[in-house]
Amino acid sequence: MKSAMPLLDLRGITKVYPLGKTAVHALRGVDLTIERGEIVAVMGPSGSGKSTLMHILGALDTPTGGVALLDGQPLHELSEHQLATLRGRKVGFVFQTFNLIPTLSAQRNVELPMVFLGAPKRNRAARARDLLIKVGLADRVHHRPNELSGGERQRVAIARALANDPEIILADEPTGNLDSETGATILTLLQSLSTADGKTVVLVTHDPDAACIADRIVRMRDGRVIEEMAHGS
Amino acid sequence: MVRDFMALAGSSILHRRIRSWLTVIGVFIGITAVVALISIGLGLERTVNDEVAKVFGVDTFLLAPRQMSNSGRSNGLAQYMLDLEWLRTVDGVATAAAVRQRTAFVEGQAGPDGRVTQGFLPVLGLSPELVTSFPAFIGSLELEPGGRLFGEDETLVAVLGKDVATRLHVEVGETIVIAGDGDKPELTLTVIGIVAPTAEPSQQGFTSGISPSGDTIYVPYGTMDLLWGPANDVLTTLVRTEPGRDVDEVAARVQVELRARGSEVTAVTYSDISSAIGTVTSTVSAFLAGIAGISLLVGGVGVMNTMYTSVLERTKEIGIMKAVGAKNSHILSIFLIESGLMGLVGGIVGTLLGLGVSSLASAVIGRIFDVRVAVVVSPSLIVATLAGAFALGAVAGLWPAWRAAKLPVVDALRYE
Ligand SMILES: Nc1ncnc2c1ncn2[C@@H]1O[C@H](COP(=O)(O)OP(=O)(O)O)[C@@H](O)[C@H]1O
Ligand SMILES: [Mg+2]
Repeated sequence: MKSAMPLLDLRGITKVYPLGKTAVHALRGVDLTIERGEIVAVMGPSGSGKSTLMHILGALDTPTGGVALLDGQPLHELSEHQLATLRGRKVGFVFQTFNLIPTLSAQRNVELPMVFLGAPKRNRAARARDLLIKVGLADRVHHRPNELSGGERQRVAIARALANDPEIILADEPTGNLDSETGATILTLLQSLSTADGKTVVLVTHDPDAACIADRIVRMRDGRVIEEMAHGS
Repeated sequence: MVRDFMALAGSSILHRRIRSWLTVIGVFIGITAVVALISIGLGLERTVNDEVAKVFGVDTFLLAPRQMSNSGRSNGLAQYMLDLEWLRTVDGVATAAAVRQRTAFVEGQAGPDGRVTQGFLPVLGLSPELVTSFPAFIGSLELEPGGRLFGEDETLVAVLGKDVATRLHVEVGETIVIAGDGDKPELTLTVIGIVAPTAEPSQQGFTSGISPSGDTIYVPYGTMDLLWGPANDVLTTLVRTEPGRDVDEVAARVQVELRARGSEVTAVTYSDISSAIGTVTSTVSAFLAGIAGISLLVGGVGVMNTMYTSVLERTKEIGIMKAVGAKNSHILSIFLIESGLMGLVGGIVGTLLGLGVSSLASAVIGRIFDVRVAVVVSPSLIVATLAGAFALGAVAGLWPAWRAAKLPVVDALRYE
């Protein structure tokens, strides 16, 4: 089912954090569209609003003003309950700090998004193992996060992001806590999700090399998009 | 999905072993106190009832002096008139035994100074049936070696309290003289037994008015007739009903008929006594339950505190679960199961410990008071306790979980 609509469409998004008597304007009117199957790299100095933007894209946070549409559906019209379903089904989030549940094994961490969608246990376990094999962790299935290296943890997190076969992968500085070599393999993995599986990938990064895998680069500063650049070549 | 949540809750409990144990300990201390105190209360109640039943017998009732409450007549009448022979013929009555009391002029033997001791002393007339049919009632009248209690057909015999025997200079086999009323003759009675002085007060005192006082002279009931004529000085009467008869019915009928014949009596049955005792013991039980309630409250606040901090610590985890699609109801279910489960485990441990403590306490109390204290295991108490422990844990965990679930996902994720 093809659609002329962009997958994600942000119109005039603002985000203000109250901070004591003053207010922090994290986003000051962002317009941005993201098409299906794209890899978009978001770059910009620290504090420029990249994470805030990602959270709004992934329905983890709500904007102060403006409209965010996913598949043409305005997110602010959805209930808390519907947003939860959307986060589980349509979006896979990869965090800089991995955010795995420390008491659960790799496999059970990957199963978690499926649990909340009510998938049967058998299918879940099989799919979780398949995904861990896909990210190269066939022999780490039963390890807990603290028994894994940083790169391995991020692979588990990517497998978890893929659990419910979402359309969008949102990765906020996924290589920020990894050495450059490990980071490179993670980037390759994310790239393959787009090229091989047709996922839409939005990637926040400081790494100019990382930007090479992107179809498009969005530059931000002070809560605004200052440049959008198609990555030719 | 519930099973998945149970697995999640379970793995979280097992991976935070120390924190989980602390929570469980918090629960079971309170529950132990509750179960122990309430069980002890119930056990005491049961014990007192058992003791009364043992002394009194469920087929037995007692005729006490009627309490004139609001009739204007003085209720100083502690003694009543009784036709014991007639009472024994009433339908449903198997045996009856009574106790009469008088103060009489008594003469003993000459002392070392050659003078005969004499004086006014209390005389109790006991039906020999008290010994044969109501042994538990008379049980505390223990005699010194060489003495015996009187049998059914004896009249001119007496048993003396230790003090009386000493003061009258009488030993077993010697005689005393008791003066009767006006035209009645004085009687010379052979002393056949002397009551051993006992350190402990009688257990029977509360029903009979007989306590082995060293001052009392005990004579056969019939001997009282010879000295003072028909009984109008009865303290208490015990009536045993025929097997299979309704004690309360017979007692009520006896009371009505005796009153019609001029005996100012009130029939008291076992159920009357046990309900009177019940009000006392249930006050004690209520007091114990109150203490138990306070300790549960203190324990409950402790549990809430542990739960609260532990859920707070996991705010980030709640954020992660929400970020991957958990609904608020999922979060609440997981924490409800987790904290409820800890409450339940605490409840089970506490119940077992509480029962242990109460049987230990029963043994100690039994040893101190020299009775067998019943150990009561009340199923309804156990069920209520376990349900309460689950609810306590659940509520304690639910509130902080609800607060954490309400946080915006991003804020929960940022929590360290
Ligand atoms: N919860 C918050 N409360 C207050 N200010 C915040 C909060 N989150 C982000 N900010 C501020 O918003 C701005 C943008 O933050 P962020 O989106 O994290 O930037 P980036 O990811 O580009 O470094 C920063 O100035 C940051 O301090
Ligand atoms: Mg950031």
